[in-house]
Amino acid sequence: MDSNTRILADRLANIVGPRHVKTGASELLVYENDGLPGYHKRPRLFVAPGNREEAIAVVQALAAANAPWVARGAGTGLSGGSLADGVVMIGMQRMRRILAIDPEARSATVEPGVVNVSLTKAATPFGLHYAPDPSSQAACTIGGNVAENAGGPHCLKYGVTLNHVLAATVVLPDGELLELRTPDADAVGFDLLGAFVGSEGCFGLAVDITVRLTPNPERICTMLADFTTVDGAADAVSTIIAAGIVPAALELVDAGTIAAVEASIYAAGYPTDAAACLLVEVDGPAAGLDDDVAEITRHCTAAGARSVKTATDAAARAKLWQGRKKAFGAMGRVAPTLAVQDAVVPRTRLAPVLREVARIAEKHGIRVCNVFHAGDGNLHPNIPYNGHDSAEAARVHAACDEIMAACIAEGGSITGEHGVGLDKLPYMEDLFTPDSLDAMCRLRDAWDPARRANPGKVVPVHRCREWMATPAARS
Amino acid sequence: MDGHAGGPVMTGTSSLAAPRSVAELADIVRDARAAVQRLRVVAGGTWSDAGTPASRIRADATPVSLRELRGVVAYVPGDLTLTVRAGTTLAELDAICAEHNQWCTLTPWGGNHGTVGATFATATNGPLARALGRPRDIALGLEFVDGLATTVRGGGRVVKNVAGFDLTRLLVGSFGALGVITEVTVRLRARPAVDRTWIVACEPGAAADIRRGAITPLAVEPLSAASAAALNAEVGALLVRFAGNAALVSAAERMLRALGSLTECEASAWSLVRETNAPVRSIEQDALALPLARRIKERFDPAAILNPGVLGESA
Amino acid sequence: MTAPKPLAGADLCVHCGFCTQACPTYLTLDDENDSPRGRIVLMKAIADGSLAVADPAAALHLDQCLGCRACETACPSGVPYGHLLEETRAKMVERRPLSLPTRVLLYVFATPTLAAAFFSAGRALRALGLAALLSRLPGRIGIMMATLAVSHRARARDYRPRAGTPSREDVAVLQGCVMEGLLAPVNRATERTLAYNGYRIVSSPGQKCCGALHAHAGARDAARALARENIAAFEASGAAYVAVNSAGCGAAMKEYDHLLADDEEWSARARTFASRVRDVSELLAAAGPIQAAGQPRKLAVDHPCHLQHAQRLTDPPAKLLAALRLTDAHDLPDASSCCGAAGLYSLENPGLSQRILAPKMASIAASGADCVATGNPGCMMHIGAGLLRAGSRVSVRHPVELLDEAYSREANV
Repeated sequence: MDSNTRILADRLANIVGPRHVKTGASELLVYENDGLPGYHKRPRLFVAPGNREEAIAVVQALAAANAPWVARGAGTGLSGGSLADGVVMIGMQRMRRILAIDPEARSATVEPGVVNVSLTKAATPFGLHYAPDPSSQAACTIGGNVAENAGGPHCLKYGVTLNHVLAATVVLPDGELLELRTPDADAVGFDLLGAFVGSEGCFGLAVDITVRLTPNPERICTMLADFTTVDGAADAVSTIIAAGIVPAALELVDAGTIAAVEASIYAAGYPTDAAACLLVEVDGPAAGLDDDVAEITRHCTAAGARSVKTATDAAARAKLWQGRKKAFGAMGRVAPTLAVQDAVVPRTRLAPVLREVARIAEKHGIRVCNVFHAGDGNLHPNIPYNGHDSAEAARVHAACDEIMAACIAEGGSITGEHGVGLDKLPYMEDLFTPDSLDAMCRLRDAWDPARRANPGKVVPVHRCREWMATPAARS
Repeated sequence: MDGHAGGPVMTGTSSLAAPRSVAELADIVRDARAAVQRLRVVAGGTWSDAGTPASRIRADATPVSLRELRGVVAYVPGDLTLTVRAGTTLAELDAICAEHNQWCTLTPWGGNHGTVGATFATATNGPLARALGRPRDIALGLEFVDGLATTVRGGGRVVKNVAGFDLTRLLVGSFGALGVITEVTVRLRARPAVDRTWIVACEPGAAADIRRGAITPLAVEPLSAASAAALNAEVGALLVRFAGNAALVSAAERMLRALGSLTECEASAWSLVRETNAPVRSIEQDALALPLARRIKERFDPAAILNPGVLGESA
Repeated sequence: MTAPKPLAGADLCVHCGFCTQACPTYLTLDDENDSPRGRIVLMKAIADGSLAVADPAAALHLDQCLGCRACETACPSGVPYGHLLEETRAKMVERRPLSLPTRVLLYVFATPTLAAAFFSAGRALRALGLAALLSRLPGRIGIMMATLAVSHRARARDYRPRAGTPSREDVAVLQGCVMEGLLAPVNRATERTLAYNGYRIVSSPGQKCCGALHAHAGARDAARALARENIAAFEASGAAYVAVNSAGCGAAMKEYDHLLADDEEWSARARTFASRVRDVSELLAAAGPIQAAGQPRKLAVDHPCHLQHAQRLTDPPAKLLAALRLTDAHDLPDASSCCGAAGLYSLENPGLSQRILAPKMASIAASGADCVATGNPGCMMHIGAGLLRAGSRVSVRHPVELLDEAYSREANV
């Protein structure tokens, strides 16, 4: 460790206590990864503030030392967004107090390290829940969700994180403190909160976050439709959406994923001989819900579903969901490394894109397991492979590039909810023009002129033209 | 009068530029930047009286109209997304969607003669905002020409997208101070099977109860004097709208009946209410966030030529 | 046959992090090095040689693991965390001997004559009231004495199976070291409830301590030696099942096949043996069990980690408790997380162990129950000691004790 790092570590230890600063190689090992295996980046040091004051002081100390940093919640991200390559990592897991729940206003204020599902647990006595539910909700944090503008199955009906964040207190990388609010009836000018949500930790560090809580639906019905072709399942998705029903969730799980899940302890009873299953959930007032269920069942059957199972009691529904929510982790049973894609395509293009993905997989001799938010057109082709086999890794890499290209060609996006981070960085230039990328750089520079927060992520650095104020602009 | 995105067309500007393409618009901005000539974006006509800060935009700036930049760029009804040019009016947007039994739920305060660009630039809400989203929730992506005359795209055309920093949210509600919005992709909805509106003669306090009831209303609006007169109702009566399948809306109707007497009316009552019930807006940039807002402005419009005055900056 | 790759099961980990929130030490210490994901990373680094076996930081975080295996039921990939930990600890023990008190205790438990003397000394302390008296002392001594004091049980009355109860298989009951030494009435209750439900209890002379504590500590050779003796003893008994009333022992004995996998002479016998091991709740659930008359009583239920996470048993213990037919029996809200007992952990890491116990104490108090049921001696004594030291009157009982009392009341009226 160089002497500057030693000095910085001592200064940070004075703020948070020595136990919460890590500088040793062995204790930094676990912080080399987030939820996406395959990348290893060693942080310069790790520091974990325990409260708002400490967090602000840490950012200010880093500003004084001009030391770049990356914030990390639970490290469950799937884009390498919280990796710290030789820079300071700020761990937010200690800041996990729920500061206030206001059942009347249906809102909660939390520290950023609060785990997504614990907020819902705390809101349950009031008949409320926190709606965005990423599959990692049992472990991921609200702060991380805000950084990534996280989605989840139920975002189809309820909206993504952006639609649920009401306010945030943010420390800018230069140490300045800012209260951001959502522009509402009493609007507040530029939608700075809207720009902050999803900025992947590049604009500043949230030290508290106020979110909307959603009333629990009166009734919930979960359906499992089982198809012998992927096309059939994809077609059913299109017809359900076009019919104007907004299911709470509409998920597709293909044969490869079903095999992995059914082999795990989370076996959900998905039919292992199906080419694909749709998991459809409707919720809301009891009135009219059965009609929606009947209509969805009709659409599935018309698209070729062999059977449509419905579950209304909590235990049966939880079991159906279990398989979906744990699918990603269950891929570990197939192979030790996993490439996770997060592309989005227009919903009417699901069937052709899935065929193209299958063709690409076959061409490269790799295995693709699809499990995704079909109602949003948000694909998750997961590719389990052996990272120690460099030839296989190269084939996976080539296939990922082709899958991305196919999705972009259909008018899609490279990420729907995981963020760009490090993993999707190379695709940004395929999606945006140099002018658009430069505009993103300019926005970032307004928040963080020193480019100290999460350096090297989201926008390829070489796409940031240095903006120089013209003499005319200054006059 | 209350001014909003959909307010009446202002006339009387002398040297009105109306570019016919984004490239032409970029040329105008480029020239203006070189000459440090201030520009005032006037969309279909004017939204300069849409409350502050629009009213603060310097009147002597040269107007640039987007009325020639109109029409559909892309529309695949099955995707429930639509890309339109900014000068398209809300009425035109409605007509396009109605052909496929779909709608864009923007429906801002004011009339349907306002434009898509102005609605997003001013982030003008409407009565459906609470249930179906505000402009920031409806915009999926947009294109704009910034003060450097570069053409920038943020977001995309799909319903879920987190690629890159969120220029879409930044531009929505920025009152043209960061760039001229030229195109927007919006999220559409299928028209509900049943969509009914009632005037409910009840306590004004019932609005909160209806909003928090088991069945979420599409809109609840206490009627102002003007709205009430036009609808032949008592001042303070509620205009309430429920939509969904038949069973759901019937249940909602039963619930409403318990609150007071009901008079059903056409959905067109909402157009009237949007014109007559609009709140006056006064939007000031948060003082604490002002330095950051100014830094952003400086990086998107370094010559300060676009809609000068929005951030309260002096001439 | 090629030797298995060291720490093979670790490759299943895709670093998803779902385990972190299930880990009591992570939630207490807020350091990801003290989470399952962090420890797997450390164990992998030790296995592949990139980290020294004796790395002091790694040793600290691995020592701080309770071995509760709550991460295993949270893991979608099926990482065999418990096995990885035992394998790594065994490797660490080669370079860094266990502490002297631990070595002494493990030796005593493995040696029946010493164990008998040790536990009779304990019972004497308890009977003289010294344990209860000294339980007020601060620190380790106080905790140990409280643990001893709460193990006391009154002798229960004997009763016979009802006429006409269908007869079931022959069952040998693991007597165990701590259970027979300090909680013998629980063993008798186990035998009586099994017999009441139709099982025939057969004796199995020569059985010993199960070796779970040895395996957890990394003393694998000692654990293997005990396993072989137990396999031989239970084989000789001719019993169809080995009934275990200690969740930790049951978990270890069900994994004798894993422990002896490399032992050519014993591996097949170990597999057969492991397949015959049953938690007492499994046998009772298979028999019904016969329902008690019911009682108006508020009971809080805690699930031993080695029952719910290691043995993955949830239904049989629930059936056992349902047979009590109490008016108000509920799982503690944190029934899925460890109480902090974790074998010798409560003595080796008393500070951390007590911090992990604290939320359990709070939820017991909030439950309003007058009794906590849990099916593992370590948990019974650790939670009981915590309650005693906090001045609480809530008792901690093994579920079979409660069932036994109910049967006894009905049979003796």
